[in-house]
Amino acid sequence: MQKFIKIALLSTVAALSIGAAQAQENVVWWDFLSGGDGVRMKALIEQFNTEHEGEITIQPTTLEWGTPFYTKVQTSAAIGEGPDVMTYHLSRVPLGVESGALAEISTEDLAGVGLSADTFAAANWEAGQSDGKQYAVPFDIHSIILYYNKDKLAEAGLLGEDGKPTGLDGAENFMAALEKLKAVSDTPLSLQTSGDGTPWRVFYSLLGQQDGVFLGEDGTFFPDETIPKAVKAVETMASWVEGGYAPALTEYENSVALFTSGESALHMNGVWEVPTMTDLAAKGELGFEWGAIAIPTFFDHPATWADSHGFAIPNNVGKEMTPEKKAAVLEVISWFNENSLAWADAGHIPAYSPTRESEEFKTKEPNATYSILADTAVFDPKSPLAGVASPVYDAVANYISPAMNGEMTAQEAIDEMKADLQDQAD
Amino acid sequence: MIRNYRREVAVAYLLILPFVLTYGILFLWPTIQMVYLSFTDAPLIGPGSWIGLENYYEMFDDRRFWTAVRNTAYFVALTVIPNTLIGLAIAMMVSRLKGWQQSLILAMFFLPYILPVSVVYRLWNWMFNIQFGILQYPISAIAGENINVFRTQWLFTPAVALVTIWWTCGFNILLFLAGLRSISPDIYEAASLDNANRWTIFRRITWPLIWPVTALVLTIQLILQLKIFDQVYLFVQGGRPDPSMVMVQYIYSLAFQKNQGGYGATVAVALFVIVIVFSVLQFQLLRARGEK
Repeated sequence: MQKFIKIALLSTVAALSIGAAQAQENVVWWDFLSGGDGVRMKALIEQFNTEHEGEITIQPTTLEWGTPFYTKVQTSAAIGEGPDVMTYHLSRVPLGVESGALAEISTEDLAGVGLSADTFAAANWEAGQSDGKQYAVPFDIHSIILYYNKDKLAEAGLLGEDGKPTGLDGAENFMAALEKLKAVSDTPLSLQTSGDGTPWRVFYSLLGQQDGVFLGEDGTFFPDETIPKAVKAVETMASWVEGGYAPALTEYENSVALFTSGESALHMNGVWEVPTMTDLAAKGELGFEWGAIAIPTFFDHPATWADSHGFAIPNNVGKEMTPEKKAAVLEVISWFNENSLAWADAGHIPAYSPTRESEEFKTKEPNATYSILADTAVFDPKSPLAGVASPVYDAVANYISPAMNGEMTAQEAIDEMKADLQDQAD
Repeated sequence: MIRNYRREVAVAYLLILPFVLTYGILFLWPTIQMVYLSFTDAPLIGPGSWIGLENYYEMFDDRRFWTAVRNTAYFVALTVIPNTLIGLAIAMMVSRLKGWQQSLILAMFFLPYILPVSVVYRLWNWMFNIQFGILQYPISAIAGENINVFRTQWLFTPAVALVTIWWTCGFNILLFLAGLRSISPDIYEAASLDNANRWTIFRRITWPLIWPVTALVLTIQLILQLKIFDQVYLFVQGGRPDPSMVMVQYIYSLAFQKNQGGYGATVAVALFVIVIVFSVLQFQLLRARGEK
């Protein structure tokens, strides 16, 4: 009997130690993706969990996008209650670093799972850095694009033989095209003209196309030589509304509805609305052929505002991450990048170069048409004041939107915006 | 009977202890912390270094702070007295009804008060929607075109004030109704025997006797409206946050959006002082008037 107990005990100990060696790591995950891209992300998480059965399990939670998310990240990291890994806008890295909410991800750590600067577009990779240290790994590049209604464009004679729009480049040509489209539609161009989102993205693109400097090296917003360029950008945007081509004071949802209902021939918005169009077209509810191209070059050279979803590790105060957990988190980050082709279905451009350069992606429409964006992207200015749901966004709502709608002149808007942001920076 | 005084005091302290503790931990201590924080340059989370009165100097030079003060004052002016007067008027009308009719009408007026602010926001945002809002019919009849009310700067605060009065006046009606019921019918009977007309009855009897309730309602309203935040925060989405900013909203944006906990606390202290000074001042003034 004693022998039996001894054996039983020994085998229990053995079983326990084997269990410990193969301990499954639970990775707590936070994201802010609740739309069409959220569905696609959930599918990816499921695939990850299946492939890593018994080794790593992701426990995902989706939180509210914007200011609430970034506040929660800061407060939870400060008391050690943050997740193990989270999605993060690279434009918000300066805030995360300044507030100490982000943990550094070292080059060695990344090299261990096959990630390095060479596997990403340079501007994209640097957007995840602060003072040369990496705080976030890019997952995608998302930007604004021009959606178009093929039927309406063909009717107005603006469709080339390859089925792509022609004659839209250059601010004046674009106006002329809008004038032609006026014949086939009351509101040729739809875009959000109220609030901050699209107005900021279009403005920053137009500024980038003229090599305007939003925030100078010395911390000056709109250095003198940039002011005329910024004014020109706002005037161009205002001319679309003033000419009656784009709707005034229109909310985001309404701007999407104007396009999907077939009312507008052109629609300027983020790549994240691609699933909306794909899904509607698949259900046969769109009623027209659609396509998407990069934003036209209105001024000197192509440039488009861009931001990235990336992965970051919160700097959980008082809760040191075990090496096993860290290995699991790094595995998550690299696996998602290696499998980012599926993420392209959400409209995004994969950040991971091997995926972006793969044959499968090169033939994926409409992404392939606008994938040039990865090279011409201009990322948000690096400042804790800039990025998603930041004071810069507020300033756009306060000055640029009203200027677009003719409530103040472009010059006034830029002067006020400069004074306002400078005031907050000092 | 011999009373054990010391024992009674001990029991008394024991009984108020839970309240004192809760009050101390949840109100007094955070308030002290807030005042302390206002002298530092702390971020949202964690400590900062002591910078003395610098935040206060900055605040007095801050355009945005004064915009917030002005907007809050404007909002208070638009809501406090109208809300009280409308509450009184409706209460007097409702008090004429009897039985189930009174209950029904009262319930109708009180119903909005129990709605959460987000529902109120959805409801009114929908009614005012520029494309298909039901209120666009009267608006276009008067103005000749549809107007995006919450995006038109000069209409924003009055519109939010209107929604707020609609939402909260039910509670005031209840308070006034209780006040009206406490006036003895004998007085009215005597007045009518003396041939007093309605206006005289209101001015000489109802108004003086209901004054204590009025003073209370005005004070509660003042404190509430000085702290206005949720409605403005919700309605301003997609609009112009700065020109419509109120004080609590400014505190929120400083602390949570701009990571300036210390400066946010400074503005919070300013609001705290304003609320105390004005509510005490107003209540004392109103009480003095009532006692004359």
